[in-house]
Amino acid sequence: MPVADQPKTEYFFSMYGTAVRYTTSSSLLAVPVEELLRHFRRNSLGESVPLTLCFQAVQDRAEIPPILSPAARHLCSGTGVPAGGRPEDELPYTVSQDRGRLIVDFHDAGMFVIDRAQGSAEGYLIKPQRMPASLIEYLFHLVLIELLRSRGLYTVHATALKKNGLGILIPGNSGRGKTTSFISLLRSGYQYLSDDHPLFRDAGDYVELLPFPIKINVTEDTIAFFPELRDAPDHLLHPRFPKRAFYAEEVYPTSIGACCRPALVLFPQVVDAPRSHLEPLPKSRAMELLLPQALLVYDAEVARREFQVLAKLVQQVECYRLHFGRDILDLPKLITPLLERTK
Amino acid sequence: MSDVSQAPASPSVSDLVSEHASLDRIVLRTNPDVQGTNMDGETVLLDLSTGRYYTLNRVGSVIWEHCTGDKTISDIQMILCDRFDVAPERALDDLVTLVNQLNQEGLLQQERR
Repeated sequence: MPVADQPKTEYFFSMYGTAVRYTTSSSLLAVPVEELLRHFRRNSLGESVPLTLCFQAVQDRAEIPPILSPAARHLCSGTGVPAGGRPEDELPYTVSQDRGRLIVDFHDAGMFVIDRAQGSAEGYLIKPQRMPASLIEYLFHLVLIELLRSRGLYTVHATALKKNGLGILIPGNSGRGKTTSFISLLRSGYQYLSDDHPLFRDAGDYVELLPFPIKINVTEDTIAFFPELRDAPDHLLHPRFPKRAFYAEEVYPTSIGACCRPALVLFPQVVDAPRSHLEPLPKSRAMELLLPQALLVYDAEVARREFQVLAKLVQQVECYRLHFGRDILDLPKLITPLLERTK
Repeated sequence: MSDVSQAPASPSVSDLVSEHASLDRIVLRTNPDVQGTNMDGETVLLDLSTGRYYTLNRVGSVIWEHCTGDKTISDIQMILCDRFDVAPERALDDLVTLVNQLNQEGLLQQERR
């Protein structure tokens, strides 16, 4: 399969006033990005200076041009779980700062050069034909978010919904009941904002929650809780390694919500109990729990602004620990009256 | 101070105050690379140079609030006594313990006047 010898194609997107131009010569690197940003597609860009991302497919690490200079400074390294939560999916990474650029090296998977001052990024993905689309989406999203931060658009690892004009954020790591609680609310008529990474920004008087709708990824365990998912035909519940995925609007009587003011933040925790209950959280505790779901400190000034916006967000919402019991389908009965009271 | 970051803390804590007279000469200032926010009396701190974050309780938050570069340890000790109705010795113990921890983590700067 040819992956590198095609002409480059440009794709245009607009994300809440920030234009994004994506260039690649590989359809393997185009399709997942178009899927990720399908709600932001445009035929052309306006006059604003766009963020520019260019990804290339390579077949060997040696094809990546020399990137790191002797001045590069190591920032951090570790192993991430980018695409699904199975241990074999973990990717080792190394992050360096080099002459104002952020270099993210995923070793056998590829390398990314992010220039926040220029608003541009280059990516080299090694053998993308062997990667699941979800991994390519993850890598693109990681680079895009780093650029959006410098334009005042931030993200948090959370699901997000809207009802009667008010937003709910449900942050947390995999396995905490985040997507299950999200679907329980979605099926009762809440509007969909994001399954995994909504955006937020400082709107002056308050922090605004912005939709980033994507396909909803579900495990077989989650599917089993909901009859409409258990019975869904294959053309609605797509196989999508390592999970399955569906479009909210194809399964539920819901729509994509508009930008809104968040009113509630719920930190879920699955408990072995018949009924769910809520425990109010002090703001400082909520901030502690939210920080690891949101903030990466690569650029001090960007991180300072993001920290301030996160603090403002926490100050404006009510925060609860959701002890998520076995009454999964009844969750709206607990949450909706609470949301109404915040008005 | 509760450190909610993942990195391990350094093992050793050096004494800040070795003689009583120095209390009037040491002024404290927060590190400009540290961003803080007060939430219902507690303070969440983010060290922008390391990405580590911390939470200070109510006493720690009052101490942090007054580390402005113009107050000595004695000044802050008196503020704690007024605010929390504690004995001077207890206030000094708490203050020195926290200042040592904040120093150790690089969150605070101290100067002799």
